[in-house]
Amino acid sequence: MCDHTNKNIYLPYLTTVEEVIDETPDVRTLRLVFQDEKVRDNFSFRAGQFAEYSAFGAGESTFCIASSPTRAGYIECSFRSVGRVTEELRRLEVGDTMGVRGPYGNSYPVESFYGKNLVFVAGGIALPPLRTLIWNCLDLRDKFGDITIVYGARTEADLVYKHELKEWQERSDVRLVKTVDPGGNGPAWDGSVGFVPTILGEAAPSAENTIALVCGPPIMIKFTLPVLEKLGFTDEQVYTTLENRMKCGLGKCGRCNVGNVYVCKDGPVFTAKQLKEMPMEF
Amino acid sequence: MQKYISQQNLTTLLDILIAQGVRVVAPRMNAGTPLYEPLESAGDMVTDQLPRRSAKEAFFPVCEDIMTYEKEGQKVTVTDIDPARFPETLLFGVRPCDASAIPVLDAVFSWDYKDEFFLERRRKTTIVGLACTTADDACFCTAVGLSPSDTKGSDLFLTPLEGGGYACETFSDKGEALINAHSSLFSVPSGAAALPLAEPQTEKFDLKKVKAWLDEHFEDPLWDGAAVRCVGCGACAFVCPACHCFDIVDEGTEKAGTRRKNWDACGFWKFTHHASGHNPRDGQPKRYRNRIMHKFKYYDDKFGQTLCTGCGRCIRVCPVGIDIAGIVEEISKKQE
Repeated sequence: MCDHTNKNIYLPYLTTVEEVIDETPDVRTLRLVFQDEKVRDNFSFRAGQFAEYSAFGAGESTFCIASSPTRAGYIECSFRSVGRVTEELRRLEVGDTMGVRGPYGNSYPVESFYGKNLVFVAGGIALPPLRTLIWNCLDLRDKFGDITIVYGARTEADLVYKHELKEWQERSDVRLVKTVDPGGNGPAWDGSVGFVPTILGEAAPSAENTIALVCGPPIMIKFTLPVLEKLGFTDEQVYTTLENRMKCGLGKCGRCNVGNVYVCKDGPVFTAKQLKEMPMEF
Repeated sequence: MQKYISQQNLTTLLDILIAQGVRVVAPRMNAGTPLYEPLESAGDMVTDQLPRRSAKEAFFPVCEDIMTYEKEGQKVTVTDIDPARFPETLLFGVRPCDASAIPVLDAVFSWDYKDEFFLERRRKTTIVGLACTTADDACFCTAVGLSPSDTKGSDLFLTPLEGGGYACETFSDKGEALINAHSSLFSVPSGAAALPLAEPQTEKFDLKKVKAWLDEHFEDPLWDGAAVRCVGCGACAFVCPACHCFDIVDEGTEKAGTRRKNWDACGFWKFTHHASGHNPRDGQPKRYRNRIMHKFKYYDDKFGQTLCTGCGRCIRVCPVGIDIAGIVEEISKKQE
């Protein structure tokens, strides 16, 4: 958990970039190791939590922790280079120093999913907030029922974690349904073609004793929720994470709120039921 | 504790404190503008005008260093800013509309994670409030349940008296300690009448009704009407004693620099703009709605307090004449 003994709540931990993985032409994953041995040994988080990552000189950006809490010793983040901080983070090489504050926010109630089937539904760059949980569950595989992953992107090139998709595809205890938008497929594409909500409908996972975890752009969420409803999922069976712009991550700076809900403190993980009770401000 | 202090003794008190190295922050003129700023001499103080900006800066500066960094090759060294370096401060001559906002801000800076930059300054500051004898058309403290003689937030409160001097009343250990440390400058209450206080003219809002309406009207045509002319300049937030949104930015070079907490404003379009290009508050009415909602509903939902003290500054500075008091009054009347 967070280091509440540190008086300066804005002070980041220092980490070393241990590995750089290019997921797509503009999405990159960094594996980070805490420089302070004590922090390395004691840093713990839960799937779904996020952190503030800093490129010194450029500032901080908010991303989820994309690695699984079951994999100790390092954390990973995946990001698309779109602004000042992420472009600077992209310049970092193995051995460079990066700042990390966190972990912040709530998390998936993983223990309450024990004994249940899981359906993961993700679109594009939104796989990282589910990937943390996917590996968390795969590392505790016998605690869960069937695991289905429906993942899509605009084109083949936009799919992130390609090496892991392959691994999931090859596993007999995971059902992976991968898709690209119409026109996004190359000649060698061995997955589906179609938008995520449509492909989810076709894959038709049973809602019985099942939890659905959805993450994607607002438009994907909008069209996915009715599909899940049609499959028989109640709003309490569906989880998502919100990714509002944040600065402090500590419930103070005032920008990530959706109505009176502070995504950084009350979220980022919400059920579809909670989502529907919020004003349309996300 | 109730005491009396003459104008002359008050000047002496402030000069003694300044000489002792206490940072005495009080309203003074800066290039023709009254601002709460550190005094070099008690004689520089100007108490007959409401400072252009609020007193929150004494605890939450416009721009605050939160750490420094230095890079050498692949290594980065980060240096903490020790809040212990903040000086003992006397915040003097604070209007009730400013002083009353300070305990409201305590809630957000001290819940869950503690912001020691704010809290350590709070611990080291004694607040001396001053009853308000001047109100203008923009003032509406009485409408939000406060008053020109409201002592909320003050450790020691002064009321100007007929015939000169001030009635002093303490509201905390800090206030008593200030009097006890300089007891020869204070005497028994004089019994003189207080000078006539300011009389803000605005009708009182029913804050419960305002909140009840806001609870049900996230979507409402009122928002378009209220803020269609807002230019998103953020001035309202910057002069507000209770607005506290901030940004965190690195300022410096690639080699070395400072990470700072800077004031921000929910009126800025970029405030909630996502990296993807999506913006949940993609229009000035939505941003203005957040401003009203935060002040009269969200902060109340979370901390049981209203984030507005009726100082009227946002009305005075708004370049397009948006009148928050008028809007809240309209909301109050809608909820019957």
